Formats: sequence, structure tokens, C-alpha cells
Amino acid sequence: MALRLVTKNLSSRISPKLCSASLLHSHATSFGFKEVREEEKSQMVGKVFSNVASNYDLMNDFMSGGLHRLWKDRLVSKLSPFPGMKHLDVAGGTGDVAFRILESVNSIKRRALQDPLNDDLQEETRIYVCDINPNMLDVGKNRALEKGLGEDKSLVWVQGDAEALSFEDNSMDGYTIAFGIRNVTHIEKVLSEAYRVLKRGGRFLCLELSHVDIPVFKELYDFYSFSVIPRLGEIVAGDRESYQYLVESIRRFPPQEKFASMIADAGFQKVEYENLVGGVVAIHSGLKI
Amino acid sequence: MVRLSKWLLKEAGTGVNKTLSEILVCPLSKQALRVCEEPPSLISDSIGVSFPMKDGIPCLVPTDGKILDTDDTMKHDNAADDSANNK
Repeated sequence: MALRLVTKNLSSRISPKLCSASLLHSHATSFGFKEVREEEKSQMVGKVFSNVASNYDLMNDFMSGGLHRLWKDRLVSKLSPFPGMKHLDVAGGTGDVAFRILESVNSIKRRALQDPLNDDLQEETRIYVCDINPNMLDVGKNRALEKGLGEDKSLVWVQGDAEALSFEDNSMDGYTIAFGIRNVTHIEKVLSEAYRVLKRGGRFLCLELSHVDIPVFKELYDFYSFSVIPRLGEIVAGDRESYQYLVESIRRFPPQEKFASMIADAGFQKVEYENLVGGVVAIHSGLKI
Repeated sequence: MVRLSKWLLKEAGTGVNKTLSEILVCPLSKQALRVCEEPPSLISDSIGVSFPMKDGIPCLVPTDGKILDTDDTMKHDNAADDSANNK
């Protein structure tokens, strides 16, 4: 016990840069609690999401008791969408965040009534949904069709890598990534790409499962995560392993303060975060000035 | 229903291709892309790579790109076999 404390003190005195580098390296080579080769991580995560895609939304409802809907509502409200905006939702495969943004923009249009300027702007609204996994995108595209948004040219679906985005510099008014950044191999690349594509004045928003510190609640949450969730995955989706990965990956992801400093390192200003449900999820935000 | 939705996706795809090439750039070089109608793909001339399009969705993941021979895109099929073997 004492030895652990001493080494902890030592490591925090060693240059913070070294600490950051080792943290990032450990994220790049961790698949939940397993150690994997960096080049393998992306494929392994890909398999997880191809497996869960068809049950993804249902499982989200089960695991969060429907709360994920409120969390996404909160995320979009912080974005303050406007007609004519160009927005990029990364790792947004099944479309939850994109649909909400579109609805929010459309509701502004309705409120503005017969405003010809607003109508033209409305035409210009573009929400790009980018996901590395084609199965998730298929689910999203089909959901759009069911909602009658199949022909809506405001929604653009793109298969791409968050670490190497196919969008121009300074082209986006907003960037969101919901429950996605935990799964990438190189967090810092994703953050720097986010910074690159955002316009000056653009907003970065990240909704992610995070760390709970509250005593007792933490223990309950741990029990729920490690005993209930994988079992639920087994029963509902017939896939225990994928959900085991999901809960482990939450624990391996940097805590709120650390992640906030990584966002600041990427160049963002006014970096802040809001804990929801005692830290079960956190919304981090930053501004590109 | 599934067939109808697949057909709709395909139809929506061809019209949207041109608009996509105006918005999207190559994920590696960040330079402009060129549309190729058959087979549907986006070409990055700056690095000589073509990215496929499936059901109107452009696949711009760097590892999905197929390196083109300098001649033209006719050798696309061979490249597709190679990348399939590599995978």
C-alpha cells in the first residue's frame, strides 16, 4: 500500500508531458482491461460495434433506463443550433444526436414563421454524421428513412475516421461526439482534428461516460456496470463480451479533469465540463477562438 | 420494405455524389476529391487513391482507400482484390 503511494507521488513529480504520453499510449493499447497492439485496437472496436449495431438503441434504453435520451437532449441544448449551421457529429452512427439537432433547427424555423431569409438559411443547414462503422451508419440511415428524413438533404452520412476527418479546415460551426471518444485509439488526434475542422467561434462538445467519485454511489455504480450490464448484454443482445468491453473501456478512459486538460492541449479555450448523474456521464465543452 | 429502402438509398446516392465532392476532402491530404460515377467512388488525385461509395455513403476511412495505378481507374478491380486479400 505504502509502495503504491510512493510510486504515485514519484510519477506525478516526473514531467507532466511524460505522464500524458504514457496515459495516451495506454489508451491506445487498451481494449477495456485487456492490453492489445495499437494497430489492432481499431479493428477490435470495429467488431464490437458491428455486433451491437442492430441492438444499439434498444440496449442504450435498457442500460440507462432511458436516461441517455435526456443526456443527448442536454448535449444538443448546449449547442444552440441555428438554421444554416454546418455541424459535424462524429461517431454518431445511429443518428440520435443528428436527429435532435435537425429537429431543433426546424423548430426555430417554425417559430420564425414567414421569414424569407430564414427559409433560405434553412436550406443551407447541413448536419454531417460521421462514423467509422458502416453497420452503425446503416442503422442511422434506415432510422432517418423511418422518420421521413430520407430525402432531407440537411443530413449527410459519411463513413470516416475521427482521427483523419474528410472535412476542410475551419468549416464547421459545431462538433459533437457522443459516447464515441472512449472507443478511439488516439484521443489526441481526434481532438486536434476536431479543432482543425471547427470555424473560429465554433463549439466542441463531448458527451461521454465518465468517473463517479461519490462514495457508496460509486460502489453501486460499479456493481451495476460489472455485474448487471454484461448480463443484460447477454440476455438482450446475445453478446456478453461486447458489453464487457464497453464497461471496462469507461474505467480506462481519463477522468473528467484529465480529459478537460487534453481538450485544452488541443487548443480549445473556455474548456469546462458538466457532470450528470454524479459523474456517470460528463459533457465536456470547448471553444475555438 | 427493405428492398424499397435499399433502392431509395441507391437513387438518393447518385444525385448527391456531386454535392459530396464539393464538401468533402481527402482524409489524408485534405485536398479536393473528384467524383467517379462507375464504380461509384471519390478519387483523391493528390495521392492517387480512390475511396468507395456504398449506398450513397462515401467511405473515407483511410484504410478503405485503394491506391490507383497512374493509368486510370480501370485497374480498380485488381486493386479491390488486393485490398480484399490484405484485409
